[in-house]
Amino acid sequence: MVENPGNVSRQIRPILLSMSPKNPSQIQAQGQTQVQAQTPINADAIKSLGLGEHWEYVLNGMGSLGAKGRADRIEKMRRILRDDGATYNDYSIQESAGRSWDLDLMPAVIPSDEWAGIEAGLLERAELFNLLLRDIYGANDLVRSGVIPPEVLFSHRGFLRACHGIQLHGEHELIVHAVDMVQSTSGEMCVLTDRTQAPSGAGYALENRTVMSRVLPSLFRDSHVHRLSHFFQRLRSKLATLVPHTDEPRIVVLTPGAHNETYFEHAYLANYLGFELVQSGDLIVRNGFVWMKSLEGLSRVDVILRRVDDWFCDPLELKSDSQLGVPGLLSVIRAGRVAVANPLGSGVIENPVFLKYLPQISRRLLGRDLRLNSVKTYWAGDSEDLKFIKHNIQNLVVKPVFRGAGESSQIGAELSKSARAELLKKINMFPLRYVAQDYIVPADIPTIINNEITLRPTILRSFAVANDKSYNIMPGGLTRVGLNKGSAVISNQVGSTSKDTWVVASEPQLVKPSPFVDNKGQFRFAQQASLPSRVVENLFWMGRYAERAESALRLLRTVFVVVNGVERTPAVCRNKLLVALTEITDTLPGFKGAADELFDKPDEELLAVVLDPGRPGSVKSCLNSMLASAEESKELLSSDTLRVINDIRDANEGLDQALGLGLVAAPEEALDPLVTALMALAGLAQESMIRGVGWRFMEIGRRIERALQFTTLTRSLLIEELPDEEEESLLQAVFLTLEVLITYRRRYRGRIEMAQALELMMIDCSNPRSLIYQLQQLQNHINELPHLGVDSRELQSEQRAALEAITTLRLKRLVDLTSADDESGKRAELDQMLSRLAHLVSDIALEISDKYFDHRVGPQQLVRAVWEGE
Amino acid sequence: MKFRITHTTEYQYTADVGRCYNHAHVIPRDVDRQRCLKSKVNITPRPAFSDKRQDYFGNWVYHFAIQDDHKALSITAESEVEMEEKPNVMSLDFGLTCRDVLEKLKSEKHSEILLAREFVLESPMIRAHDELRNYVTNIFADDRPFLSAVKGLTEKIYKEFSYDPGFTTIATPVMEVYEHKRGVCQDFAHFAIACLRSAGFAAKYVSGYLETLPPPGQEKLVGADATHAWFSVFSPGEGWYEFDPTNNQMASYQHIVTAEGRDFSDVTPLAGVIFGGGESHSLDVGVTVERIG
Repeated sequence: MVENPGNVSRQIRPILLSMSPKNPSQIQAQGQTQVQAQTPINADAIKSLGLGEHWEYVLNGMGSLGAKGRADRIEKMRRILRDDGATYNDYSIQESAGRSWDLDLMPAVIPSDEWAGIEAGLLERAELFNLLLRDIYGANDLVRSGVIPPEVLFSHRGFLRACHGIQLHGEHELIVHAVDMVQSTSGEMCVLTDRTQAPSGAGYALENRTVMSRVLPSLFRDSHVHRLSHFFQRLRSKLATLVPHTDEPRIVVLTPGAHNETYFEHAYLANYLGFELVQSGDLIVRNGFVWMKSLEGLSRVDVILRRVDDWFCDPLELKSDSQLGVPGLLSVIRAGRVAVANPLGSGVIENPVFLKYLPQISRRLLGRDLRLNSVKTYWAGDSEDLKFIKHNIQNLVVKPVFRGAGESSQIGAELSKSARAELLKKINMFPLRYVAQDYIVPADIPTIINNEITLRPTILRSFAVANDKSYNIMPGGLTRVGLNKGSAVISNQVGSTSKDTWVVASEPQLVKPSPFVDNKGQFRFAQQASLPSRVVENLFWMGRYAERAESALRLLRTVFVVVNGVERTPAVCRNKLLVALTEITDTLPGFKGAADELFDKPDEELLAVVLDPGRPGSVKSCLNSMLASAEESKELLSSDTLRVINDIRDANEGLDQALGLGLVAAPEEALDPLVTALMALAGLAQESMIRGVGWRFMEIGRRIERALQFTTLTRSLLIEELPDEEEESLLQAVFLTLEVLITYRRRYRGRIEMAQALELMMIDCSNPRSLIYQLQQLQNHINELPHLGVDSRELQSEQRAALEAITTLRLKRLVDLTSADDESGKRAELDQMLSRLAHLVSDIALEISDKYFDHRVGPQQLVRAVWEGE
Repeated sequence: MKFRITHTTEYQYTADVGRCYNHAHVIPRDVDRQRCLKSKVNITPRPAFSDKRQDYFGNWVYHFAIQDDHKALSITAESEVEMEEKPNVMSLDFGLTCRDVLEKLKSEKHSEILLAREFVLESPMIRAHDELRNYVTNIFADDRPFLSAVKGLTEKIYKEFSYDPGFTTIATPVMEVYEHKRGVCQDFAHFAIACLRSAGFAAKYVSGYLETLPPPGQEKLVGADATHAWFSVFSPGEGWYEFDPTNNQMASYQHIVTAEGRDFSDVTPLAGVIFGGGESHSLDVGVTVERIG
C-alpha cells in the first residue's frame, strides 16, 4: 500500500533510499613543506625548489596570468564544476547535497619520458595482479606451493569462497586496476595501495581534464598533454567483449545510489560511456539471466560495470542483509550469462599483506621482479614482523588488512603514548588483521592556495584497463593534494583538493577525431531506448514536488502581502487565506481550527511552513524531496537544467538567511528568487527536454499536482458564500496566486464576479493555469504512454478517470456552480464537483504509480543468517 | 552398506511469496568412505531455474529460483549412498602427538597441510577463545597421541553437556552453549571445533544424517531420522578423522555425509532470499534413512 486514495489532499512519495556502505579510502602520505614560490618564476627558482624543468612552461604560464588572471580562472573553474554537478558526498554531513569537487588550477606535470617508465611499471603490475586474482579463485598455487602463508588468503574477509572457480571470458580477470602512488623526495615512484574491486577516480580525472582544457585552453594546448579519451574507449571495448556471442551487449553501471560519495562519477561515467545507470532495485534475475526493469518491460543485461563493493552484490550468497545487491546474481555469473567487472571477489587482492610477499609472488607468477616499488610492508601475522612493529610503531603507518570494516589507517607518529599502546594491544590480539608500512615522504609540487603558488605533497591514482592482450594505462590519472598542514593523510573524505595530471610530450600528440570511434572491432551497443522504471518514477516525483513547492510559495507570497499589506484586508479573508495555506501545504494542524492568538500572530507558523525541513509539506521539505528526485535522475537532465537545479538548491539554502531571523520587511520578496528558479525549471522542461517517456512522466507529475492544488485552494476559499466585498478580496488573492489577475482585469474590466472568475480559472482552455488545461494535458500524456501487453480498445482505468474528470467539469453550468445553498450558505455543487475531481486525479496518480513504477517488496532471508562480523 | 535417504523440507508462508532464490546443501558428497550413487531433487512449485554445482569445499549445492506466487515451498532430496563398513576398531593410541601436530601444521610446506590451515582460522560462526583453550589444556597434553586426545574431547563433551533440543537455535553463539552446557548436535560440533581451533588445531564441520534403528520388534517410522552434525580433525600426514560428540563415537558407516565446511554457515541445508511471504513462516523437516542393501 503506497498511498491512501481517500486522502486526496496529499500524496507523499514512498521513499526507498539506498544507503551506501561506508567506504573510507584513506591514503597516507607525509606532511607538507612550506616553501613559498615567488612569481614570476624563473629557471633558477624552479631548480632551487627541486622541481624539474618540465615545470617551467606551466609555472611561467601560471605566473604570467597574474593574481587577477588566476583568480578569474579559479572562479570560472568553480562555476563549471558546480554547473556540471561535480560533487563528492560527505557522509559526515547529513542531508548534504554533496560537497563540490575541488580542483586546483595548477596541474601536476609529469614529462612523458619519465611517464614511460612509470607506465611500463604499472602495466607489469596490472598483469601481475591479474594473475594473482586468477590464481586465488582458481588453482591456488601460491598457497599450495607455500609462496604465501595460507592465512594471508584464508583469514581475509575479501576472499569470497562463493566466487571460487568463476572466470571472465578473455585473458583477464582484472578489468580495471587502480594504483595509489607517491613520488618520494628521491624522485622514485612508490606504490602505496592497489584498488581492484570498483576503483573510483577515473571519472573525476576526466572531469578535471574537461574543466582544465576549458579554463586554460592555450596553456593546455601548448603543453601537448597526453589525451585521456583513449583509456575510456578501451574500457568500453573491453566491457563489450566480456560476453561473447552477443552482437549488441547491454552494459549497465551499477551504483549503490545517490547517497554514495562518488555518485557524481557513476552518473558521469554512465553518460560518457553511453551505458544505463542502474541501482540494485532496477535489476532482477529471471530465467537464469539478469534483466533491467524498464517501462517497456524487462531488457536483458549482458555486462555490469559495478560500483558496489563485492561483498554487497548478492544477498543470497554473500552479505545476506545487503540492500545494494541483486539476489541470485552469482549464479547467473557462474553460468556465464552476465559478466561483472571487476569480478566479484576481486577485493581480496587489495589486502596490503600481498605487498610484503609481492617480490616472491612476482617471481612465481611473472618469472621476474617488478620494476615499480611498493611501500615496505610488515604483517603482524608474521612473528618477526610483529616484533619489528612493536619496536618501531612510532615510525610506521598501521592499516587494517580489510578496508570494509570501517577502520582507517593510523599514523604511529601522530598517536599519543596511550593510543599507541591501545593500538598495539589490538594488533597483539588480532595479528592477522593488521599491517604496518613505512612512511614515504612525498615530494612537494607547486599548488595554488589562496591564490598563491606554494608547494604541497601529492598522491597520484593511476588507472589501467585490460585490452585483448595486455593493459592500457591512463596517461596521468587523478592527483590529490594534501592540504591540512601537519596531517599526513590525503583523502577525498577529509577534504583535500585534486589536480589534473598532465603527462606532457615534447611533441604534440596526434588527436583522435572522436572518443567513440572504436578503431579495433566495431561494437554496437544496445539502444538506450528504455529507461529504468526508477528513473521515470523520480522524474514523476520531481515534477510533483516542483509544482507543490511552487504553489506553496505562490500562496505564501499572497499571504505575506495580505498579512502585512498596506490595504486592510477583512479579517475573515485573511484568516481564510491562512487556513488555505495550511491545507495547500498539508501542514496540519497549522491554522486549521486554531485559536485567535495564532491568527493574530501568524509569523512563527508562517516561517515554519517555509523553513522547517522536518515538517512534511513545508517549502523546504518539498524542495529537498524535489532535489533528491533530481539527483536520482541526474543523468537524464541537460546541463542547463542542472544549472537551474543548482540555483534552486542555492536559493533553498539561502532561505534561512533571507527569512531566518524573523520576518523581514516585505518577506514575499525573499521568496521571489525561488519562484523564478522553479519557473525556469518548468520552462526548461518545456523548451529543452526531449519529448520522451521521461519528460512525459515529469509533466504528468506536474499536471496532477497543479490540478490537486487548484481544487484544494478553491475548496478552501470559495465554497462559502461571503458578502461581495470579502468575496472580491478573496478572489483577488486567488488571482494573484494563480497569476491571472492581469488577464482577468484586461478581459472583464469591471469588478470581480464569481462566475467569470470560475470560468477563467476552471474552464478556459487558453489559460495554462486553468483546471481544464491541467486535465486535458494529463489526458494527452496518459494516452501517449506505452500500454504494455494491452491489445484491447477498451480504455485503461487511468484514461477512464481522465475522461470522467474532463466530462464532469465540462458538463457543469456556471450558474449551478456559483449559486449557494440557502440554508448552509455554501456552494454545494461546486464543492462536490471539486471533491470528485480531486478523487479522480488522485486515482490517476495511483494507477500510474501501480502500473509503471516498481513497487518492490524488500527481500528477506529464508533462514536468518547474519553471523558475519558479530 | 547401501542407504536411501529422503530429506524433505517444507515452508508455509502467511502471505504469497512472489519470487525466491535459494541454494540447498541436500545432496550427499563423495568422501573416502562414502559414494553417492544417485540423487534427485524435487521442488514444488516448479522452479523456473535450477542448477547443481560443486562449491568451494567440494559439496553439492543445488540452486533454484521460483518466479510464480506461492504460499508453500517443498523440497525433497532423494539419494542413494554406499558406505564403506570399516570395523571401528582402530586404535587411537598411536600416531602423532599433539605437539607433533602443532609443529607440523606450523612449519611443514606440504600442500595438504598448508590447505588444512584454513580450518585453524576463525570462521563466521566460530571464534577462538582463551577460555576454551584453558578448557582443553589438560586434554591436549604435548605428548599425548593427538587422535586419542580428540577422542578425549569428544567424551568430555558427551559427559558434560546435555542434549536439549529446545535450548538453542541455529544462531546460538558457541560461548553461550559453553556457559549452559546444553544444546544439540550442531552446537556440540561447533563447540568441539571452537576448542580445537583455540588450541591451534584444524577442524571442519560435517553435516549429514545418522541412521537410527527402531527399538527391537518395532517398525521404523518414516521421517523419524534427522539431519545430524559432527566434526572432523586434521592430523598432518595422516588425514582427516571424524568424531561425533553427540553420541561419543567416531563416525561410522551410519554417519552419512552431506557436506563439509568451516561451520554451519558454509553448509546450511537451505538458504534463500524471498520477496513477500509475510511476517512469519512455518518450517517442517523430515528425514528418512532406509537400508536398501
